Amino acid sequence: MKVLVFMKQVADTEARIIISSDQKSLEVENKYVVNFFDEFAVEEAIRIKEALKDVEITVCAFAPQRAVEALRTTIAMGADRAFLIDSTNRETDDPLIVSRVLAGFARKDGFDVILCGRQAMDDESANVGPMVAEFLGIPHVSQVTKLSIAGGGKAEVESEIEGGMRTSEVSLPALFTCQKGLNEPRVPLITGVMKAMKTQIDVLDPASIEIPFGPIGKEASKITVLSYEAPAGRPSVRIMDGASPEEKVQNLVRALKDEAKVL
Amino acid sequence: MTRDVFVVVECKDSKPRKASFELLSIGREMASRFSSTLFAVVLGSGLTDAADAVASYAGKTILVDNASLAEYGWDTYGSVLESILKKYEPMVVLGTSSVTGKDLFPRVAARLAAAMVSDAVGVDIAGEGVKIRKPLYGGKVISWLAPKTDSTVIVTFRPNSFAVADAGEKGEIIEETAAVAGNPAMKTLSLERKTSGKVDLQEADFIICGGRGMKAAENFAMLDEIADLMGGRTGASRTVIDSKWRDYEDQIGKSGRTVSPKLYIGCGLSGALHHIMGMDTSKVIVAINKDPNAPIFQYADYGIVDDVFAVLPALKDELKKTREET
Ligand SMILES: Cc1cc2nc3c(=O)[nH]c(=O)nc-3n(C[C@H](O)[C@H](O)[C@H](O)COP(=O)(O)OP(=O)(O)OC[C@H]3O[C@@H](n4cnc5c(N)ncnc54)[C@H](O)[C@@H]3O)c2cc1C
Ligand SMILES: Nc1ncnc2c1ncn2[C@@H]1O[C@H](COP(=O)(O)O)[C@@H](O)[C@H]1O
Repeated sequence: MKVLVFMKQVADTEARIIISSDQKSLEVENKYVVNFFDEFAVEEAIRIKEALKDVEITVCAFAPQRAVEALRTTIAMGADRAFLIDSTNRETDDPLIVSRVLAGFARKDGFDVILCGRQAMDDESANVGPMVAEFLGIPHVSQVTKLSIAGGGKAEVESEIEGGMRTSEVSLPALFTCQKGLNEPRVPLITGVMKAMKTQIDVLDPASIEIPFGPIGKEASKITVLSYEAPAGRPSVRIMDGASPEEKVQNLVRALKDEAKVL
Repeated sequence: MTRDVFVVVECKDSKPRKASFELLSIGREMASRFSSTLFAVVLGSGLTDAADAVASYAGKTILVDNASLAEYGWDTYGSVLESILKKYEPMVVLGTSSVTGKDLFPRVAARLAAAMVSDAVGVDIAGEGVKIRKPLYGGKVISWLAPKTDSTVIVTFRPNSFAVADAGEKGEIIEETAAVAGNPAMKTLSLERKTSGKVDLQEADFIICGGRGMKAAENFAMLDEIADLMGGRTGASRTVIDSKWRDYEDQIGKSGRTVSPKLYIGCGLSGALHHIMGMDTSKVIVAINKDPNAPIFQYADYGIVDDVFAVLPALKDELKKTREET
């Protein structure tokens, strides 16, 4: 069985991000990690392999060269092979285009199960999973918290829905987006890290992949980034005076009512 | 293609959610700016009253009432939405960035090759097209995006992004009978509803959030009482979830839910960046912490430096008084 994981390398929460003076570009401090939710996807792939044995795990990122590092991390965790589809000078702001490229890779490489994160920590879009599934014409389940590959080419999945949980049976091939709670991602062992250092990570040009799902050129992008700006800061905090907790609370509630007008 | 604006209405317990009324309010402004019509789209089963309720916002309301739409599925809802969008060709489709919205809209966007912007928080409707405001990197950066409007554009917004305007004149309701196509590869085995009857965390106007400083699961009862009193919800920091004091669905922060209530009160939590990224867009932030140097005070509008267990009973009493006054 072939399990394919789509992994995005994202800026670490602590990374400094500088907006250029013309507000047209961002400079991200060189602190990158595997997207939080994609760690669940890699871990789940490894667990599928541990359970079913005859499984090959492929990880793929459509990203600039720097993402090789994050791909190595997934190998160190236990993935078998990794591919970087080079996004240098390519459109990456339009999720349709990113999804077409990834779907093109999946179609070429083959798969039974595709795993993604619930969403990327940088754009929080949650677009790529369902879009890739649509292009490939396969079913998807979002926000999966439990996944078991049953016999007969089916999977039983538990997923988060509005105000509850759903258990469903899905025929493979299928795509799942991974939610927190699915598993506890492992920390790579030193042997894994050493294997990852030696593993060859193939870099592909998107032009070398046949992509029958629509255009991927920059001119085909439907999204233009106009500008970036810093969020408006808050004025500094007002600490409530008072000799007792009661008095502080009275002052707070008065301020919330008369000044902030939120009560 | 038309220049019409569509709002896909999301219902909970057969009633339109507050987030949908927000979208109808901003959608009405957009449509008037584009000299076009605002359409509300109501999909589901037994939603005649819901359609009635939104009809006072929209020029036209499209209702697809079909027993096969009783439970949401991307396949069934997607097939209906696809045929409606193909028939009416709106310029802009507005939806909620909810669990359902995140599942449905990208799938439909890919099917229609429609431009898609997700998880936005604002819009600028001056000029010809639409400019969308979307936070990146947990709110460290705000981006302004312009989707191409030569074909349909789908935009989803976080709840609490817009004010709800007053209802207007009641518009026409059109009953459509679109075919519902389920995907044979998908079968629901069971559904578990946590019918709390409470307002959704992301939609709540009032959130009181507890952290490790709350010390134990039982102590959250105090927060729940205040939340109930205010018609809001209790949230929690990740430490609390990891300690199993509360369920994951209550987690606020980068790896939990993103919320923007009118009033957020943080109790006994430090204000770690991962947490701040999930609540920084709240209108007013109050922090209660015994440590005057807790980072949360850098992000709060008002602060009380004291023991949370001494503050909460007084807070409950004072809030109760203001409730009784109004
Ligand atoms: C990848 C990643 C994702 C994460 N995602 C999230 C997320 O989504 N949400 C989230 O919340 N965190 C998240 N975290 C964790 C985050 O970094 C912090 O560890 C967490 O938010 C701290 O929780 P806390 O404030 O409850 O606890 P602490 O940091 O321990 O703070 C407790 C506070 O309570 C105060 N206190 C103690 N007793 C009292 C008292 N009696 N009265 C008043 N004050 C008192 C203390 O002064 C202290 O400031 C994430 C971390 C990582 C690495
Ligand atoms: N450029 C990319 N390369 C590989 N996987 C991606 C990429 N962008 C998004 N994904 C996957 O899609 C998920 C959702 O991303 P997003 O739609 O950006 O929120 C991520 O968690 C990844 O699993």
